Amino acid sequence: MASVTLENVSRMYGAITAVDNVNLKIKSGEFVTLLGASGCGKTTTLRMVAGLEKNTGGRISIGDNVVSDSDKGYFVPSERRRLGMVFQSYAIWPHMTVFDNVAYPLRIRRRPDTEVRDRVMNALRLVEMEQYAERPSPALSGGQQQRVAIARALVFEPEVLLLDEPLSNLDARLRTQMGDDFRALQQRLKITALYVTHDQAEAMALSDRVVVMHGGKILQVGAPEEIYRRPENRQVAAFFGTPNLLNATVKDCRPNGGQYYKLSVEGQGWSGDCHAATEMPKGADVTVMVRPENLHVRDAGQVNGDLSWSGEVSQAIFRGSHRSIMVKTPAQTLHVEASSLSNVDIGRPVTVAAPVEAAWAVRN
Amino acid sequence: MTIIHNRPLDDIAETAPTLAGNAFTRAFSGGSLWRLIGMLVLILILGFLTIYPLAMLLYGSLHSTPPGMAGEFNLNGYRSIMTTQNLIVLANTIGISLAKTIPSLTIAVFLAWIVARTDTPFRGTLEVLITLPFFIPPILTAMAWGMLANPQVGVINMVWRWATGATDPLVNIYSYGGVIWHMCQYSIPFLFLFMVDAFRAMDPSLEESSRMCGASRWTTFRKITLLLMLPVLTSSFMLSFIKGIETFESALFFGLPAGIKVITTDIYESINHRATPDYQYATSLSFAIMGLMFLLVIWQWWMLRGKSFQTVTGKGFRPSVMELGPWRWVTFAFCVLFFFITVVLPIGQLMLGSFFRFFGFYTYDMLTLEHYRNVFANSEFWRAVRNTMVLGLLGATATMALGAIVAYISVRTRWRGRNLIDSMAWLPWMMPGMVLGVGFLWAFAMLPGPIPIYGTIWALLLAYIALGTPVSVRVMTGAYHQLSYDLEECSRVHGATWAQTMWRIMVALAWPAFAVGWVLTFFGIMRELSASILLYSVGSETLAVVLMKLWANGNAEQVSVIGLMMMLLVIVFRWVQLSFIKARISKL
Ligand SMILES: Nc1ncnc2c1ncn2[C@@H]1O[C@H](COP(=O)(O)OP(=O)(O)O)[C@@H](O)[C@H]1O
Ligand SMILES: [Mg+2]
Repeated sequence: MASVTLENVSRMYGAITAVDNVNLKIKSGEFVTLLGASGCGKTTTLRMVAGLEKNTGGRISIGDNVVSDSDKGYFVPSERRRLGMVFQSYAIWPHMTVFDNVAYPLRIRRRPDTEVRDRVMNALRLVEMEQYAERPSPALSGGQQQRVAIARALVFEPEVLLLDEPLSNLDARLRTQMGDDFRALQQRLKITALYVTHDQAEAMALSDRVVVMHGGKILQVGAPEEIYRRPENRQVAAFFGTPNLLNATVKDCRPNGGQYYKLSVEGQGWSGDCHAATEMPKGADVTVMVRPENLHVRDAGQVNGDLSWSGEVSQAIFRGSHRSIMVKTPAQTLHVEASSLSNVDIGRPVTVAAPVEAAWAVRN
Repeated sequence: MTIIHNRPLDDIAETAPTLAGNAFTRAFSGGSLWRLIGMLVLILILGFLTIYPLAMLLYGSLHSTPPGMAGEFNLNGYRSIMTTQNLIVLANTIGISLAKTIPSLTIAVFLAWIVARTDTPFRGTLEVLITLPFFIPPILTAMAWGMLANPQVGVINMVWRWATGATDPLVNIYSYGGVIWHMCQYSIPFLFLFMVDAFRAMDPSLEESSRMCGASRWTTFRKITLLLMLPVLTSSFMLSFIKGIETFESALFFGLPAGIKVITTDIYESINHRATPDYQYATSLSFAIMGLMFLLVIWQWWMLRGKSFQTVTGKGFRPSVMELGPWRWVTFAFCVLFFFITVVLPIGQLMLGSFFRFFGFYTYDMLTLEHYRNVFANSEFWRAVRNTMVLGLLGATATMALGAIVAYISVRTRWRGRNLIDSMAWLPWMMPGMVLGVGFLWAFAMLPGPIPIYGTIWALLLAYIALGTPVSVRVMTGAYHQLSYDLEECSRVHGATWAQTMWRIMVALAWPAFAVGWVLTFFGIMRELSASILLYSVGSETLAVVLMKLWANGNAEQVSVIGLMMMLLVIVFRWVQLSFIKARISKL
């Protein structure tokens, strides 16, 4: 398995910049996901790594070999990059059986028949499809086609596996299951994987690192938890779930001993402590992000948190796994995810509290 | 055009269970008496249009004298066609059709690939230009090429002699090569229209994944692209081959003068060019060619069973075109050249022919407008224009209405007899225009006295409807298959009656297909020659027939004038079609 390096990679379509100066290093055996809204340039980035699209700027290397360098006009075509790829449409060839589909990369490389048999059956076993080997491929369901596509991509032991929204054509239940299966497989075989999705839950569950993209640019790279809890800016913060974003002013800033800084902030009708990644001057305007699941509703006046707001319950919706409670405060309406056992009456005055670890401030 | 798009029979069977539970069908079974009467009327109409001429053809082939005369039943007709000479005719027919199908298919594939899968500049415009020859009546290009590549006075040969000083002609259109060349001009755009959407619809990730697996461009083309395209290539090949056997004009204009006979021209000759028309021979031969067509259609069906790949996928579809670099100007030039040769050259020749006093003498002092004056002063010409327009408008409307009804019943109901009417409507598919013409000739002659169809414009109309019905049924079948049953049922649930539902939903949604089919049928009628030439009589000539008569009299100059008019009409109609009916004809 090999690493992948993108240095200042760009792609223009006429005047449109689909991918804008992307720098990224994927370590060997790492699972990295490109995440972003539709049209942000994920597929284009992936296809440039695959060699299906030429980068108009920058350099791409796989392992120690440069495969594309636009300044030098150097370009290795797809078929010589030794990559496996799973397409969004699976691209299973309808005129072949499952076995022939998976055997194709080996036959192209002129492996002896016995080796082809063994390796194809092995690959099919990995994805639990060995009993379907002789099926004509149009007679497969979506989930099965997806497995075949993965087997085909893995059969010749590629340097890197590329996947473009491989789960988006499956229904919700199957999607979770296939995702988990694939993650287990990837960890077992230690495959370097570059994965594209627009689904944040999928990205967090599968990846070692997530690359958040927007408008062809990388906004942030980091482990899922890192990105979820400590986003670098408001855009990344808003991308995951529906966080409460509050405007506030910095009153005080000091190192908290670890990597972060502890801030004292004041908003409209509330004040308290939170964390931030960088030092901020007094008086700076910041956005404080608090996730709904980290907020607690208490009886009015009862304060046991680093941050608190007082207000009254304006709405409560039972959602099975939890209860969504809207609390109207002088600053803004806060969204709280409380236990579904908790019962609150609409109109009741309450205090909403959060621990300091749950509040994260970014510069406006 | 759409016969290949028809769902294989098992496909229809597949949809049957949903039909069985169709609320609409159940609700309607109450009016079964009216339904019965309606079906009977429909069967009678279709029977008159297809079974009756076919039966008369059989009768004629077994009867010793022409219609209406006393005679006896014998097998002389069939005996008389079993000759060595006819073996050559058969070999010619099949050989010529094969010889035109192979290059046509190759060029059509190349053109479809250029338009659908490369970054050739102005692809949209090129597509319109290279499909134009399909809409030009073959009789016009035949006459134009007769003048262009005439060995003595053809422009091409005159230019060749002038440029090289040679005395021998460069090309002679009156030859096997000429017949094939003329057929190709029509076949290529036809096959192009038939295939281009298959090229366009192919999911490029099927090819890209092959490249990711380590296959080169060329290996990918051989192992993936070509094999995926094989079903559509096979059906195109068969269709083109069958059409080639039916073709009349090319062999009539360029084959007969050179003594090259094919089956259709042999039938024509035995009726029109013998001292006494040999009807028994003609009908026997017609029946024989129908047998041949039947075998071909069976073969086609057998070759294609179960061989269609659904390669179109909606999600993640990325229309990707190959970047050709500087080569894109080569592909561009190839398309332009094709247009130039198939459209510009013939039109140019017709213009040249129409403005000079004598065909072949192109000097300044020969310039004249006299031919235009003669044509416009000719009442026969105006009558033919009127006939053609009336036949085109009425014929296209009636054919499409019939096709819409037959297709509706066979696709969206479970009525008894729906398979029968579908088969009856399909029957003319196996009958070349020439054969159907012969069949109707006898059919009209055998009608009882008070029904004077023979010799009127109605005779032509009925033949055109019969000839157009298979295509119109296919067009409408395709349209109905695409409409979901929910639409129809939803409308019924919301309180609309059956008639309202039909009108509001079906007509409103199916009309684009109807309109496209209408234009297609109209063009079909305008270029029809083989049945018309047997069934016309004084007063009911169409433009094609008038052109033929003038050509036979050696009046190439007036032919050029009328040809230009028709060409203009074709271009105007095609333009209207393209700008007002956005659906392309290949979408059918
Ligand atoms: N072949 C192309 N021609 C022109 N623009 C393109 C082409 N392919 C992609 N784009 C544009 O590039 C941007 C990024 O596309 P893509 O990488 O497919 O986004 P994503 O996969 O994130 O949804 C989009 O704005 C898209 O319209
Ligand atoms: Mg994408």
